[in-house]
Amino acid sequence: MAESRSAPVLEVRDLSVLAATQPILRGINLTVPAGVILALLGPSGAGKSTLLRCLNRLIDLTPGLRVQGEVRFHGQSIFAAGADPDALRARIGILFQQPAVFPASIRQNVLFGVRHAGRVPRGDWPELIERALGEASLWEEVKDRLDAPALRLSVGQQQRLCLARTLAMNPEVLLLDEPTSALDPRSAEAVEHSLLRLKGRRTLVLVTHNLAQARRLADQTACLVVREGAGEIGLPDPDLDRPAPTVGEI
Amino acid sequence: MRKVFDLGFKWVTGLCALLACGVLALMVGAILFRGLPAVSWHFLTEQIRLVGADGGIFYNLVGTLILITTALIVSAPLAVGVALLQGIYLRSAAGRRRLLLLLYLLNGVPSLLFGLFGFIVFVKFLGWGKSWLTGGILLGLMILPTVTVALIERISSLPRRYLEAAAGLGLTTEQVIWSVILPQSVGGLITGALLGLARAAGETAPILFTATIFAGATVPAGIRESPVLSLPYHIFVLAQDSFDPAVGTKVWGTAVVLLGLVGGLSLIALPLRLRIHEEANHG
Ligand SMILES: Nc1ncnc2c1ncn2[C@@H]1O[C@H](COP(=O)(O)OP(=O)(O)O)[C@@H](O)[C@H]1O
Ligand SMILES: [Mg+2]
Repeated sequence: MAESRSAPVLEVRDLSVLAATQPILRGINLTVPAGVILALLGPSGAGKSTLLRCLNRLIDLTPGLRVQGEVRFHGQSIFAAGADPDALRARIGILFQQPAVFPASIRQNVLFGVRHAGRVPRGDWPELIERALGEASLWEEVKDRLDAPALRLSVGQQQRLCLARTLAMNPEVLLLDEPTSALDPRSAEAVEHSLLRLKGRRTLVLVTHNLAQARRLADQTACLVVREGAGEIGLPDPDLDRPAPTVGEI
Repeated sequence: MRKVFDLGFKWVTGLCALLACGVLALMVGAILFRGLPAVSWHFLTEQIRLVGADGGIFYNLVGTLILITTALIVSAPLAVGVALLQGIYLRSAAGRRRLLLLLYLLNGVPSLLFGLFGFIVFVKFLGWGKSWLTGGILLGLMILPTVTVALIERISSLPRRYLEAAAGLGLTTEQVIWSVILPQSVGGLITGALLGLARAAGETAPILFTATIFAGATVPAGIRESPVLSLPYHIFVLAQDSFDPAVGTKVWGTAVVLLGLVGGLSLIALPLRLRIHEEANHG
């Protein structure tokens, strides 16, 4: 892992986001090394979600926001003219606070991205479903009812299904926007378990409110603070400025 | 004082509602009372005879169905295109507003002007003469705002998280449209189309000098010089000649059939609309 830290996956350089003329984020600099879990902390409204949505250009979908500065993915500027945001989003997956499962079966939900934008041959789908649901710690609970409507699952299961749906695309980076804050403790624990197992093979940026969670999971932390009405990178909580214990790592 | 005002307001609104319902009930009642005796299996399946005094309205019904089916085929893809333009592709709020304004303007164009436009462009300029296709196209354009606005409403009420989830997986805008937006808003298209077609079925002005004749047409075989019979035009012509009691009954009978068609379309649209709203709120 030591050598992978020398080559950052994502670099944010002097990034600002403005709504009309009102800044939401100002002068953000952030480096995400390969294979780590980076926790992003900060008060509500500091712009954590906005920053996360810049990293895979989901921010393009919100009209009226202006992005300045640069985000580099493996050294390539993602906002450069000619950069393909759809291909980028296939490689940088995102999980939201609220699960958004589609009104279809569990199987269809897992396959959703793969079917429309992936390049996995049909014959490999069953294996893919098992792998993705397994990585999301949901396989055991749903393996006998893959064709049941996904909306009948509990919120916690739905969130893990969304995780599986993203993992099915085999993304290199996973952006997680407070992924457990809406979940029951058991599901939250299952999600954390999945994230720990993903560490090393994928790079994770985890927005969380939960300091204990950041301690449990993160290798590095960054903190957004509000200064003069806009989010900036501030000093992390001194208590957190140390590598988290590597419990559960495999 | 305020209480009295509130109470008065309640009474006036109630009275207005009652009046509206009363007029509707009276109208429907009168049509049914005078027309139902004329409606029979033969009336629906026989050709027109003796200049409307005898026989049935089979080909009028067929013609109207041809016209509104064509209108559906014309308006549905256009509505999808315009709605996607308005809801997805246009990035600026001003552009969206302008497009919506244009739709409302189109909705306000008197139907007779659609007929005139069709007469100049299709009948004369393209030399089609009277053609079912012209009628279908004109009716389709006429109901375009109704269909489109219903679809736009539905698309704008789609949960944003669905769109973001799909885009977040790397789907292109086109893929998001096909996999999320269209499947989930097709209900809006259907209800809008049903309500639009209910209106189109009863319109006379757009088809008057472009698509329909009174007698002597069956199922059209081509496009040029291929008019159809229709229910509203049948009523339009016979009503001017209804001193003959035999004709009078036929007029009312035709009105009942038209009313049934229009009411049927609206009635299918209503529960569908409610059910879809429910799904949107609980799904
Ligand atoms: N599309 C937008 N237009 C205007 N302001 C926005 C928009 N999106 C977010 N904001 C503002 O940006 C700030 C940061 O929002 P967000 O990124 O959601 O914060 P966090 O996730 O840290 O709670 C908030 O004050 C919010 O009101
Ligand atoms: Mg947030």
